[in-house]
Amino acid sequence: MRTRNKIWIAFGLLLLLCQALPALAVDLEKKIVKARLQNGLTVLIMERKFSPTVSLFIRYRVGAVDEIPGQSGAAHFLEHMMFKGTTTIGAKNYPAEKKLLSRIEKTGEQLDRERKKQGSADPRKIRRLEERLKKLQNGHLRDFIPNEIDRLYTENGASGMNAATGQDMTTYYINLPANKIELWARIESDRLLHPVFRQFYTERDVILEERRQRVEASPDGKLYEAFLGRAYTTHPYGIPIIGLPMDLTFLSPAAIRGIHRKYRSPGRICIAVVGDVDPSKTMDLIRRYFGRIPDAGAPSARIPSEPEQRAERKVEVEFDASPSMIIGYHKPAPPAQDDYVLDVLEAILGKGRTSRLYDKLVTERQIADSVSVVNGVPASRYSNLFTIFARPRHPHTNEELQAAIIEEIESIKTHSVTEEELARAKNQLKMDYIKSLDSNSELASILSYYELLLGDYRYFSDYLPRIQKVTAGEVRAAAVRYLTAENRTVAFLNRKPASRKGAETHEK
Amino acid sequence: MKSKKTIFCTAGLLLALIFLAAPQAAHTAPPWIPPDQIRYPALEFRMPQAQRIALKNGMFLFYLQDSELPLVSLTALVRTGTLHDPAGKEGLAEITASVMRTGGTAKLGSGEMDRRLDFLAASPSISMSLDSASIHFIFLKSDLDECLDLLSRMLLEPAFEEKKIQEALALKKEELRRTVDNPQTLAFREFNRLLYPGDPRGRYATSASLDNISRKDLISFHREYFSPANMLLAVSGDISREEAVKKIEQVFGDAKIPRLVHDIPAAPRQGGRGFFLIRKPIPQSTVVGGELTISKNHPDFYAFEVLDFLIGSGGFSSRIFSAVRNEEGLAYSAGSFYRARSNYGVFGTYAFTKTASTFQAISLIESILRDAAAGSIARAELDWAKRSIINSFIFSFEQPRQIAFEQMKNEYEKLPADYLTTYREKIEAVTLEDIRRIAAAFLHENRRLTLIVGDADRFGAWPENWPAPAQIVPQP
Repeated sequence: MRTRNKIWIAFGLLLLLCQALPALAVDLEKKIVKARLQNGLTVLIMERKFSPTVSLFIRYRVGAVDEIPGQSGAAHFLEHMMFKGTTTIGAKNYPAEKKLLSRIEKTGEQLDRERKKQGSADPRKIRRLEERLKKLQNGHLRDFIPNEIDRLYTENGASGMNAATGQDMTTYYINLPANKIELWARIESDRLLHPVFRQFYTERDVILEERRQRVEASPDGKLYEAFLGRAYTTHPYGIPIIGLPMDLTFLSPAAIRGIHRKYRSPGRICIAVVGDVDPSKTMDLIRRYFGRIPDAGAPSARIPSEPEQRAERKVEVEFDASPSMIIGYHKPAPPAQDDYVLDVLEAILGKGRTSRLYDKLVTERQIADSVSVVNGVPASRYSNLFTIFARPRHPHTNEELQAAIIEEIESIKTHSVTEEELARAKNQLKMDYIKSLDSNSELASILSYYELLLGDYRYFSDYLPRIQKVTAGEVRAAAVRYLTAENRTVAFLNRKPASRKGAETHEK
Repeated sequence: MKSKKTIFCTAGLLLALIFLAAPQAAHTAPPWIPPDQIRYPALEFRMPQAQRIALKNGMFLFYLQDSELPLVSLTALVRTGTLHDPAGKEGLAEITASVMRTGGTAKLGSGEMDRRLDFLAASPSISMSLDSASIHFIFLKSDLDECLDLLSRMLLEPAFEEKKIQEALALKKEELRRTVDNPQTLAFREFNRLLYPGDPRGRYATSASLDNISRKDLISFHREYFSPANMLLAVSGDISREEAVKKIEQVFGDAKIPRLVHDIPAAPRQGGRGFFLIRKPIPQSTVVGGELTISKNHPDFYAFEVLDFLIGSGGFSSRIFSAVRNEEGLAYSAGSFYRARSNYGVFGTYAFTKTASTFQAISLIESILRDAAAGSIARAELDWAKRSIINSFIFSFEQPRQIAFEQMKNEYEKLPADYLTTYREKIEAVTLEDIRRIAAAFLHENRRLTLIVGDADRFGAWPENWPAPAQIVPQP
């Protein structure tokens, strides 16, 4: 290690004391209005006046972990289907359309049943069913107005409209000119109550393309999928959000409806509104549109817990690409104290050019092209992973890089971290925190996320004081406890030997 | 996870109207009126302006105060770019920018510099693009003096330590080696290269060109371009105008600078055309097509913005997205882009589709462009696109630092001073005749360049009416 500059440490500590940290937290809480509607739906509103815009987030505590086994990809598929309109948005004559939709579904189901037979399937029957389906779908195109949700949002000036499905939750978000909130309330409450899942089978093809783009044709996607699949043997965090190919290929409209029923539990919904709004009037509007959402009474999925890992796990992906690797360690999810401690360790190991791993592996030993550390992969409703992503620099190998990373982790266990490293990490976490307060959408995202994940957004407002209290001893103890060989999963991506074709995954 | 595309003081009184229009009781059923019939209050938008301040040393500073958070943001644009790489030394501009950040300064070694910056949790970035370099730096206002000092040293007196140059070159080579791994990165890089035949914009760093770069090259590249006279600055955040001006003049004021001032480089003369192929055994093809087109200063620029929006950059309802994705299910990502610069522009289209539907996706996009050029654009479509662009304009002005940057960029591109203030009215003025005229005039099938990255042996028979493709083997 380098010699430490004592003056710098003193300066750093002084700096920390001078910044009135708790004041930021208090300020934030003063600005937020929180209410729970009678049906259990939570609403957070924060007024920020600089620009006449508003960021709107609606999150459902329903994600890939809530899928039924064999229906992986259903939560993400539903997210796509939620853009297909409602009984009053995009519809021309819904009762008539409904009949056609059920004929399409029936044909699609028949086709899937036949295709599932694979080798023993009747190719003529498949062709006949494909033609019938195509004809019905083309006929349906005349019976509705496509892309109406997008058309409405876009022409009203939306920015950054999108949705995201995670293991833990699914989020629909948008930024709108501040006078257009009612449009959002109209559309979002309608698609929660009366969605119409149009163009199902075409969308399935789109999602298969999404899977090709994100996974099949992407070394990073391939490696990440193999890594999670190996790190989790039982808990659904090991199953890809986009779906396993066999599940996704035959996913049915019924599976999608099953997930949608789970959305209709207002206790699982959080709305966050940040921007140039009048909080009490906005609350009234939200109550009007969302207050009558009944509870569909869909039971929660029984999610098996991950047994404790007792031996190191390895997995290797062969792919036509330069090598890369992921190392993960099981650890508790927030709000556990050790999760805060590992946030500090994440920064010490991987944040900035002077962080342990960057300094040692990229700068000093020059064996790594890149290294990054993420505490909390892949999600946080259940215990998760402290994860290191790294790429060796040619001609170095994954093995060499792994050994070097583990050497650094061991040195934290034996020599602990320095006060300078600790202070630097805390400064970095503080800076990230302050920067995140600078954007309506980031605030809406963070507030709704923690409210739904932990039942209280104040995890966020209390975050910095908790981080400030983390000690070097705690960091060391967490490294000793979690960053062990037995608790480790290592995934390598290596170039396949020239003779073999196609990507393969080998578990060890 | 869906991929999709990517504007001040009224509030109180006007917003109130929206709520009065509907019943106020919490327990009445929501009115399922058609969304098009919702009545919205007017949104009064007063475009916030950064101040343009001439400093004593001839630099211009764009300044906007914002005291919400204890942060200061500094950004700069430098008139340089990778198109100034000397022939045979491609990569020099980028390596210079990178080692300015990492290679130490006359007074502070690289290690000490990194340590101070990391301790302040301040991470300045100097990034090189085709025709500019941009600097972004956000720090706590309490660290103002320290951060400005570090940044100015980095910009004005970089030491270019030899070991840091070697490190940057090695990491760049690793990046080149890995570019071929990602079909999209590879396709867009090669598309850009093919688009500018015989032009410096079409030259890219290779392992061989990096071997020709020495410390002397970095020093002279830096001396040529990174002088305050060649730079525009923007400062926003929790800092007064007086303090901003004083501090900036202190750190940049008496720099010893050559008087050389660069101008906007000449536009490329012509664009590449024809079909190109890169073989890569993956299950999905990446298809990028495009041509050179009109600039931001062209009278039809606004019409072209609208055209691009409705063809493929305007989300689900735009033509390419709607047809390729929603109707045919051929791709998850498909659309168009229009990169307009002050003296030329690039219009392009893209789709990522499974190997078997590669030609089908290309044909579908071509038919959409042909159809638009043949006069099929309807008034409703035009009106939708115009409303969308006009209504979302306010999002370019959501944050003070964004506003200061936008105005600085205007000046950098030498656009008319009223470019931003008149943008919406000029979009509004685009007529159906304009849009049909420019679609016919500027969507040239025979001037297009199409690049396919994919498993070429499995595409099927090459369509007879398409010119034969040229095969490309990317240089590592």
